[in-house]
Amino acid sequence: MSARAGKKVLLVSVILSAAAVIMGLAAWKLQFIHQNWEFFAAFLLLTSLVVFFASFEGSRISSREVGVIAVLAALAAVSRVPFAVLPGVQPTTFLVMVSGYVFGARSGFMVGAVAALVSNFFMGQGPWTPFQMLFWGLIGASAGLLGVVRPGAGRTVMISFSIVWGYLFGWLMNLFFVVFFIKPLTWRAVFLAYAASFPMDTFHALGNVCFYLLLGPQVIKVLKRFQKKMTYAEI
Amino acid sequence: MLEQLSYKSKGTFLQNVHTIASLTYFAALLLLPLIFTHPFYLLGVFLVGIMAVVVSDSAAECMPFLVMGIWVAVFVMLLNPLIVQHGNTVLIYGPELPVIGRFRISLEAICYGAAMGVRLMTIIIAFALYNAVVHPDKVTAFVSRFAWKSSLVVSLVTRMIPTIARDLCSAREVMQLRGVDFSTGTFRERLKKYSWLMEVLLLSSLEGSLATAEAMQARGFGSGRRSSYHRELVRPRDYFFFLSGITALIIGICAWLKGYAVFAFYPKLDSFAGGSELIWLVVIIFCLIIPLILSWGWKHWPYLRTRI
Repeated sequence: MSARAGKKVLLVSVILSAAAVIMGLAAWKLQFIHQNWEFFAAFLLLTSLVVFFASFEGSRISSREVGVIAVLAALAAVSRVPFAVLPGVQPTTFLVMVSGYVFGARSGFMVGAVAALVSNFFMGQGPWTPFQMLFWGLIGASAGLLGVVRPGAGRTVMISFSIVWGYLFGWLMNLFFVVFFIKPLTWRAVFLAYAASFPMDTFHALGNVCFYLLLGPQVIKVLKRFQKKMTYAEI
Repeated sequence: MLEQLSYKSKGTFLQNVHTIASLTYFAALLLLPLIFTHPFYLLGVFLVGIMAVVVSDSAAECMPFLVMGIWVAVFVMLLNPLIVQHGNTVLIYGPELPVIGRFRISLEAICYGAAMGVRLMTIIIAFALYNAVVHPDKVTAFVSRFAWKSSLVVSLVTRMIPTIARDLCSAREVMQLRGVDFSTGTFRERLKKYSWLMEVLLLSSLEGSLATAEAMQARGFGSGRRSSYHRELVRPRDYFFFLSGITALIIGICAWLKGYAVFAFYPKLDSFAGGSELIWLVVIIFCLIIPLILSWGWKHWPYLRTRI
């Protein structure tokens, strides 16, 4: 299941990034777009979410897979709370990453996106919800790709992956914040926003690494064993 | 925090509106401030938002959002003039700084920051109201018409979160009885103790997920066309809500396309053209306010209550 879904997600992300590049070029040309970056940012955000959810809707999925996705998403959502006092440190990113790595890109995306959405049913929806959904979803989807490309990824690969996403998560958030609320866009504005969020992103990355070192191998083992258990062999 | 939804049912008028109608109204409250740049238009929608909070009796729920919103808005208001170096009317020249260069604070950048602060507050008010007024289950049920797999996952997760939060508490108590003290130790040790908890929780809830899946299969889930027995009532109030939201949206987009709701901040502030450019705003506010008047009437006027 994961290899085909992985290819699909790869295709989707290639299409999306191509669309982003084309829109960037168009924006360079057209005065109107140049003044209305936020619409294109919002458009890109919503289409990516719709494309990912539509790909999940179009897939054939068993009730066991639905159950596992739901449990992992619920765990990721619950684990946001006890660590709320520490800025940036939470096991959610780690859990989403590991579930994407084991169960594939499609399930990984669903775990991340649904965890963000539903935890906000309890903690309050806000303008941040779609961003959290997309970025946590992307963490899961990209971990699924990693699982396809490097099925036996060792410690170094996984740790660098967690560090990269720790920073990337914050950077993508900053990008949208800057595009929506700062005008005219200048490199200085971008630089300052990124400098301001640097400590927070570092905490996020460090937290990811800590959780991976403490829990990673065991959790991956548990999930892989469970994956085997989900598929009954015919005798 | 995870024991119950942030939505509390109070039986108010705004909580008893058809999902599509209230979603349209909130789409208007959310999208209009996003497309407007004119300060008066932004303020107008902001005031409607405040009024809606008061009318819907949800001030207590919205308060934390508003407090947080004010902080972020102040942050945006301060940040914008500091980092944006455009604008003709320079008020203050700052000192030369290494890396970043020389600061110049312009009137235009301050005004833009203030307008963005109002925009941000309006968006946050729209979300706060949404949390207080729309039940997530209603939205999930609505979405399940065209995305039933995703909404199945969403409703399963919604059901599991309180259970897992309770399991977490009991697993914690069991470990405490066995002598694990969660309140002592260095940061590393504490993290380790919590990670044991995570592992216990993971194992037990994965087993639970298998049980859920088997229960679904035993009841024939997915074996045929889905049946549905839930139907939401459509009452006169829903038409009012829907029409007011959609009209406000359309008029707002028209005003925006015709350049009425647009205000150029750079390089020099636009001048206000006077009353004529605000006519559109009056119409938009009128549209958005109708449901709020109905809500007030529903509470204080029994005759109206029987009619809508």
